[in-house]
Amino acid sequence: MDASFFFTQFVSGLTMATLLFLVASGLTLIFGVGNVFNFAHGSFYMLGAYFGYQFVTVWGNNFWLSLVLTAVCVGLVGMVVEAVFLRRIYGRANEGGFQILLTYSFILIIDDLVKLIWGTEYKSLPRPQGFQGAFQAGDIYFPAYNLLIIAIGLFVVVAAWWILSRTRAGRVARAAATDREIVGVLGVNVPRTMTLVFGIATALGGMAGALAAPLRTVTPGAGIEVIIDSLIVVVLGGMGNFWGAWFGAILIGEVNAFAVAFVPKWATLFSFLVMVIVLVFKPEGLFATRKIRKL
Amino acid sequence: MKKNVRVCLAIALLALMVMPMAIHAEEKVIRIGAMYPMTGRPGLYGIDSVAAAEMAMDEINGKGGVNGYKIDATFTDSKAKPAYAVRVATRYITEDKVHFLFGIVSSGVGLAVTEVSKQYKTIFIGTDHASTQLTVDKFQPYYFRVSNDTFSSMAAGALYLKELQAKKPWKTIAYIGPDYAYGHDQWNELRYNLDRFGVKHKVVGEYWPKLFEPDYNSYVTSLINDKPDILVTGFWGGDTVAFIKQAQAYGMFKKTLYFQPDAGGNYELMSAMGAELPAGLVLGARHYNNWPDTERNRNFVQSFFKRTGRYPTYAAEGAYAGVYAIAKAVEAVGNPDDTEALVKALSTLKIQLPEDPEGFTSYIDPETHQIMQMQAIGVTMPNNDFPPAKMMLGDWKVYKPEDIAPPAEYIKEKRK
Repeated sequence: MDASFFFTQFVSGLTMATLLFLVASGLTLIFGVGNVFNFAHGSFYMLGAYFGYQFVTVWGNNFWLSLVLTAVCVGLVGMVVEAVFLRRIYGRANEGGFQILLTYSFILIIDDLVKLIWGTEYKSLPRPQGFQGAFQAGDIYFPAYNLLIIAIGLFVVVAAWWILSRTRAGRVARAAATDREIVGVLGVNVPRTMTLVFGIATALGGMAGALAAPLRTVTPGAGIEVIIDSLIVVVLGGMGNFWGAWFGAILIGEVNAFAVAFVPKWATLFSFLVMVIVLVFKPEGLFATRKIRKL
Repeated sequence: MKKNVRVCLAIALLALMVMPMAIHAEEKVIRIGAMYPMTGRPGLYGIDSVAAAEMAMDEINGKGGVNGYKIDATFTDSKAKPAYAVRVATRYITEDKVHFLFGIVSSGVGLAVTEVSKQYKTIFIGTDHASTQLTVDKFQPYYFRVSNDTFSSMAAGALYLKELQAKKPWKTIAYIGPDYAYGHDQWNELRYNLDRFGVKHKVVGEYWPKLFEPDYNSYVTSLINDKPDILVTGFWGGDTVAFIKQAQAYGMFKKTLYFQPDAGGNYELMSAMGAELPAGLVLGARHYNNWPDTERNRNFVQSFFKRTGRYPTYAAEGAYAGVYAIAKAVEAVGNPDDTEALVKALSTLKIQLPEDPEGFTSYIDPETHQIMQMQAIGVTMPNNDFPPAKMMLGDWKVYKPEDIAPPAEYIKEKRK
């Protein structure tokens, strides 16, 4: 095992981790602020991939412009879904059950809509100009596009930190996460805050979908495939904790990368193993501050 | 007088209204209960299969049907779930009184439905699932398959690698495939055949990502570190697309030959990747839109295109073949009700299909009920004849069914 292989494996783990984080961050944001587990979050990721395909491959737009447009469009779809449907079930008795039913039904609805509009054939999005090649160091290649994804992930982390801790909107969102009612009493328009947070979270998911499209397959059903790993990441980091999602994604990405290299036969087991260990010793998640109530 | 005319007209009108009912009551129908996945990733195969089966039915019924019988099929979403498909199959047999169970893309579902077919003694025509278990280990007399099994693909693959070794010596081989029966079967069968044909090789890596894994980056970098001369993959569908896209970015195909003999050559890969698909990948599939270059195949592909506006994936030809196999068996027996006679007719069926090259006719092996067909393997190269694909396969190597079917001792061993 030489150092260069170790480094290559680390970087390929980071690529996976970043895409995982971009999906999981939205999932955890919605859970943190709205106390909603959005099963359909993966479907917004898939929608992002299809919007990206439509903007770039079909309409021939610039990749970067399309990425921004995709995030905005998916975010708008997310806001409509929140304002028209999810808002109706907040605060109901057995809210959890309604949430699961409603968000799960959106997986099926969005999947079928995608099938009606774009058909079932696999779609593809080329890598953007300037990022088709790879940096070469001796025998090893680092694909430029993968490095770009990692950089975008870092940018999102820094931007999110700045918004959540330094802006009024961020502080309101954090306050709403702690206590919806009190924040409402203080004059904040809580429903609007929730819609906005849902919009930002789904925009992140949509952007992740469009960013992943040049590396993955754009197909109906793609949303369900990312939701399980994202759920592991969110649980690991602590439900609703943004930094937890970041750390969880890197942990899962790297554990997976090195498990593949050293114990390929059992590689898929390891991310679940890490989750089980964390749940046994710190059931509230690594970064959570709220303690789980013991029965 | 006027009144009489009116009465006559009324009677004539009544007769016209009643007549179709009378005809309908006497109409003889071959009932097919088909199951295909219609949603999620395998949905494309299901939708293509339905279109091709309906195309075959329209062709046959348009010419007056078979011995006065029209073919009629009901299509249900199998949801790619064994337990669900078992319920649908049972309902088809007990309530709809179908003569044939039909279809199925996933081998897992096929293995469940073959048990229903066995229990109710109803013929099951498999059109796309490829696990060799259905015709060897779990063989039952009411099961027939009209598309090729993984064993034949892997035996053809082993022969291809043998010929390659003679020309361009290679030593090391690695494998990556989905971590379920289909992925494991392919690797076991390839190694069995490499040994059978005396192909010396050293395995330097084996990887088992989960089915539908979206991210292969870590697998790719680890595989590059293993430095195999040949990389065999056992993916299907979107997993092939994702893996090739990710591996290509690392320059993997410059040093390693990419080899996927069972499902890699499916048209969906070419249509999804367009010009991005690298040249020089060695791929196989169960049907090709550009091989064999016969009138029969060209007609099939163009008719499908006219009907759907797109070119077919290989699942389509399997479904098309299935309907024609049923028609041919019913034609021989005279009716669709005598199951035992139909089993006999199907066991010795010879049938000309779009994937048969000139001078060859597909036939069913009475021992396994597996269709015996020529197997071609090709190499990716530029070709704009089937848009949106910009690369298609060419430089074909073709293998005879007798050389690639499971040998007698293999079948005996597995059926013990």
